[in-house]
Amino acid sequence: MTPMPVDPDFSSRIIMLLTTFVLVVQLMMVTQRTLVGNIHLFAVQSLLLCGVAGTIAWVHQATHVYFVLALMLVGKVIALPLFLIKLVRRIKINEELKPMFNSPVGMLLCGGFALLGHVVARPFAGRSPLINSTFGIAIALVLMGLFLMINRRTAINQVLALLCAENGLFLAAISLTTFGMPLVVELGIFFDLFVAVMVLGILVFRIRETFASIDVERLNQLKG
Amino acid sequence: MTSPLLDIALQIAMTLVMAPLMSSIIRNWKAKLQNRRGSPPWQVYLDIAKFLRKDMVISEHASWVFASAPYVVFLTSLVAALMVPMIGVEAPLGMFGGALAFIGLLALGRFFLALGGLDPGSAFGGMGSSREMTLSSVAEPALMLSIFTLAIAAGSTSLSVMVHHAASQDWPLLNSVNLLAFAALFIVLLAETGRVPIDNPATHLELTMIHEAMIIEYSGRYLALLELGASIKQFALMSLVINLFFPHGLAVGEGSSVPLAVGALLVKLLFLAGVIVLVETVNAKLRLFRVPNLLAGAFVLAALALLSTFIFQ
Repeated sequence: MTPMPVDPDFSSRIIMLLTTFVLVVQLMMVTQRTLVGNIHLFAVQSLLLCGVAGTIAWVHQATHVYFVLALMLVGKVIALPLFLIKLVRRIKINEELKPMFNSPVGMLLCGGFALLGHVVARPFAGRSPLINSTFGIAIALVLMGLFLMINRRTAINQVLALLCAENGLFLAAISLTTFGMPLVVELGIFFDLFVAVMVLGILVFRIRETFASIDVERLNQLKG
Repeated sequence: MTSPLLDIALQIAMTLVMAPLMSSIIRNWKAKLQNRRGSPPWQVYLDIAKFLRKDMVISEHASWVFASAPYVVFLTSLVAALMVPMIGVEAPLGMFGGALAFIGLLALGRFFLALGGLDPGSAFGGMGSSREMTLSSVAEPALMLSIFTLAIAAGSTSLSVMVHHAASQDWPLLNSVNLLAFAALFIVLLAETGRVPIDNPATHLELTMIHEAMIIEYSGRYLALLELGASIKQFALMSLVINLFFPHGLAVGEGSSVPLAVGALLVKLLFLAGVIVLVETVNAKLRLFRVPNLLAGAFVLAALALLSTFIFQ
């Protein structure tokens, strides 16, 4: 591969733009009410993260980041969303569960999380605004993932929220070290996640069969 | 540019001619996109001429507020339009106020419009006024925050300085701060001009109407003034959005030609109108109780934009 002269200012601008889009997509997920819409948004978010990873790989000529990128593209943009959509179709979820917080409150809370993320990221970033912004958004993504988990009490939504939080971790790893985690770690996390989603998928199916609902609140009835 | 009076006259003329045409073009394109023929773009001038000729029917319960509202709405939106840099970087009335005066004038017009809706005591008018006030209490903070974001970047609340700052960057929109502010401002633009996800400008027959409900008691000359005022407000907001984020072709400095700048403005306005038409066609009107959610989204986007300016600078 011939090293291309890449203007670092231009690439950092692209990365900032893409991470901003990632944040906006996450905010849209907080307001989006339908499950399938949420899954689509997750796929879009993963695609944008692929863009970030691709830009970083291009600028730093880091071959192993390309590998992670390919893994991400196949796994998170295509395979997992397809699997989840198939699951939604199969268990025929029509119910639209009320979130705990209504969407303006949720949006405002998430704006607060973004602020918190940037404040926490500041000491790590030193003087680089690029790292401050991407790392701040990464922390915000993790927080919003956790918030989504509390906010929507259906099992599939919680799986999605977990995946979003993992997206945040991925962004954090990429933005802090600029090369991502070592490939072995990345592979390990990825397969962990894959297995977790599969297991949760089967679990969701069983919950649905037993309770005729995927509201995890109902699991409390199992207590003696 | 020559004398300030000529500037003012030019911008008034352009606003008065172009503003109704722009709303009419949007209506026409929307009809085309929905496989209808649509009324021709110049129809709006005929409509206004007809309104001006017709007698007025005024409720016997109406007071002076009802009669003054159309003039206030028309004049505030016209003066607000003169504060927006449209052709050159310097707005004709730029020395009288900046972003705050612009927002304040629009708010004054809206206040009188709501009073005019309430005054005759009809059920529809009151409903429209209360809805308008509810929504604007959410839309206005988003508008202010996103304009302030740009004001911080430019270091001044004068709209001329802000547009000048935008014109000094090559592509203002390729900046995450400006992108967030633009998204927020676009949603607010739809809300302020009564476009489809928020309000339907094409109907008098829906229980969900907002703007049309407020002006339902007006007829004749007053209606003409209100329609003109609404389209001028839309024109001013659209040109503000355009010149803040796409300042290409603006007449900057001495040796720039005015006709070229006017042409560039028109092309960009038509492009924005096309985007609005697309948004209006692919979206259904939101339920009234869902609208604050959308506007709260715009508010959060604007707040994030403001937050990002402090991080990046």
